[in-house]
Amino acid sequence: MYEIIGVWCVVLLTLSIFSYLYGDNPFYKVAEHIFVGVSAGYIFTITFWDTIWPNLFGRLFPDFVKAGFEFDITYIFPFILGVFMLCRLSKRYDWLSRISIAYIVGMMAGLKFYVFLNSNLLIQIKSSTVDLSGTYYNIINEFIILVGVISGLVYFFFSKEHTGVIGKVSRIGIYFLMIKFGASFGFAVMGRISLLIGRFEELIKFSSYEIVKGHETIIIYNPTLIILVFMIITLTYWAYKDKKKDIIEK
Amino acid sequence: MDKIENIFIKLGQLDRRFIFFLIGLSVLIPLLKPGLINIPIKTTSNSEIVFKELDNLNEGDKVLVSFAYGASTKPEIHPMSVAVLQHLFSKGVKVYTVPLWPEGLMMAKYAIEEVVESNLFNIKEHTNYISLPYKAGGEIIIRGIATDIRSIFRQDVNNILIDDIPMMNGINKITDFDFVFDLSAGVPGNAEWVQFACDENNVPLSSGCTSIMVTDAIPYVESGQIRGILAGMPGAAEYEQMVFKYLNEMGDSKFLNKEALIIPGKATSRMSAQSIAHLLMVVFIIFGNISYYMIRRRNN
Repeated sequence: MYEIIGVWCVVLLTLSIFSYLYGDNPFYKVAEHIFVGVSAGYIFTITFWDTIWPNLFGRLFPDFVKAGFEFDITYIFPFILGVFMLCRLSKRYDWLSRISIAYIVGMMAGLKFYVFLNSNLLIQIKSSTVDLSGTYYNIINEFIILVGVISGLVYFFFSKEHTGVIGKVSRIGIYFLMIKFGASFGFAVMGRISLLIGRFEELIKFSSYEIVKGHETIIIYNPTLIILVFMIITLTYWAYKDKKKDIIEK
Repeated sequence: MDKIENIFIKLGQLDRRFIFFLIGLSVLIPLLKPGLINIPIKTTSNSEIVFKELDNLNEGDKVLVSFAYGASTKPEIHPMSVAVLQHLFSKGVKVYTVPLWPEGLMMAKYAIEEVVESNLFNIKEHTNYISLPYKAGGEIIIRGIATDIRSIFRQDVNNILIDDIPMMNGINKITDFDFVFDLSAGVPGNAEWVQFACDENNVPLSSGCTSIMVTDAIPYVESGQIRGILAGMPGAAEYEQMVFKYLNEMGDSKFLNKEALIIPGKATSRMSAQSIAHLLMVVFIIFGNISYYMIRRRNN
C-alpha cells in the first residue's frame, strides 16, 4: 500500500513541478512548498541525529548517548557556541550569535588560506609551465594554456588602462574567458537534459498498470496517465476561468 | 529574400512553451523507442584515465568513496557510482563509503544495494564494504578524515562501533587509504577533496561529477591533482561501457559470480535522448542568433 502511495506521490510531484513550464499555478506552488519543507525537515533531522547527537552529546554524556566516544569536557565550547548561534532568534541576546559567527569565519578563513594557496595557486602555477621535453602535441597544448592563463590574468589587472599591448593581451584573455563560459553553458545544458531524462524515465516506468519490484508485482493503476489527464483538465479550466475573469474586469 | 527573413524572425519569436514541448519530445521519443536511434559512444581520455587508475588497484586495497550528491542529480551521478563500485568489487578492493551530503547517505545505500542485488559479486558488509554515516560540516569533515577519521566516526551506518569492525583496523587517516573516489554534484565535492585532503597527503584522487562542475574541475585534472574525471552522463555512459566490456572479458575470478547476468548500466541507454536533445538545442541556438541578427538589421 505504502509503495503505491509513494509511486503516486512521485508522479504527482514531478508533474506538478513540470506544470511550471506552462506557467505559475497552484500545483507547482504546492509541490514547491512541500519540497522546501521536506528538505529542511530532512536536513535538520539527519544533522541532529547523525552529527550533533553522537559527536557532541556523545562526548558530553557518553554513558547516556553511547556513541563510542569518551567524555571530553572541551566539547562544552562548541555546545556553548551552538547555543549562542540560536540566540539569533532573540532580539535581546542576538549579539551573542556574532561570537559564534566570528569563530566560524575566522576558522574557515585560516583553513582556506593555506589549502587554497597550496592547491589553487602553487600547484596550478607549476602546472601552467611548458614542459619542453614533451611531445609536440603536449608542448602546443601547454603553450595555449600558458597564453590563456597570462592573458586571462591581464584582463583582470585593473591598475593600468587596457590600451596598447595590455589592451591586446586582455582582448585575447576575453576570448579565452568566452570559450570557458561557452563550455560551462554547454555543460550546464547537458546537466539539465540529464535531469530531464531521469524524470522522464521515472514517469515512463510508472505509466504502466503494474510494476515489478524484486520478485514482487505491484499494481499501481497507471498513475502517470491519470494524473497527467487530471492536471491538463484542471489547468485548462483554470486558464479558461482566468481569461473570463480578465474579460469581465475589462 | 524577405520571405526567408520573415520566417527566421518568426522562428525567433516562437512561444517558449513550444520549444519546451519539442525538447520534451526529443527526450521522450528515444526513451520510449530505445532502438530507434543508436548513437555510438566514444570513450574520452579522462574516462580512460579513471578506468586505468582504478584498474591498477590490487586485491585488498582500500578505497574511500565519497557520496556528495542527492536525488536532484541522481540521473547523472548514480550510474557512474554503480559502475565504479562494480569495477572496485571485481578487483577485490575494500570499499569505504562516506556521504558528505545529507541525501548522500541514501544514494550510497541505493548504489550498494544495486550492486549487491545484481548478485555479480561475492561481497559482504563489513568484509568487502562499510558504510559510514553522514556528518554535517562539509570541508571540515574532509579535513577530519584527512587527519583523524576516528575523531569523527565511531560507528558505521548501522550504529556498530567501528572498533569492532575488522575492516576498519589500521584506518585512522586519509593516508591509510590507497585511493579516494569522489562522486559529487557541488560543494563539498572534488575541489574540497583536492584542497583539504588529497594534495597535502599525496593520496590519489579521481572524480565523477555533474556536467556543470566539469569546467571548474578540469584545471585540477590537467595538473594531475585529480586523476581523470567522469563528466556527467556521457562520462557515466563511457565508464559503464568500459566496465561492461571488462566484466565480460574477465576470466575466472573469485570475486565475480560468473552465473549472474552482466547487464549494461542505465546511462548508456540514456545517451541517445541526450544527444538528440543537444542537437535540437544547437538548432534553436543557430535559429535564435540568425533571427536576432535579422531583427537588428531590419531595425537599423
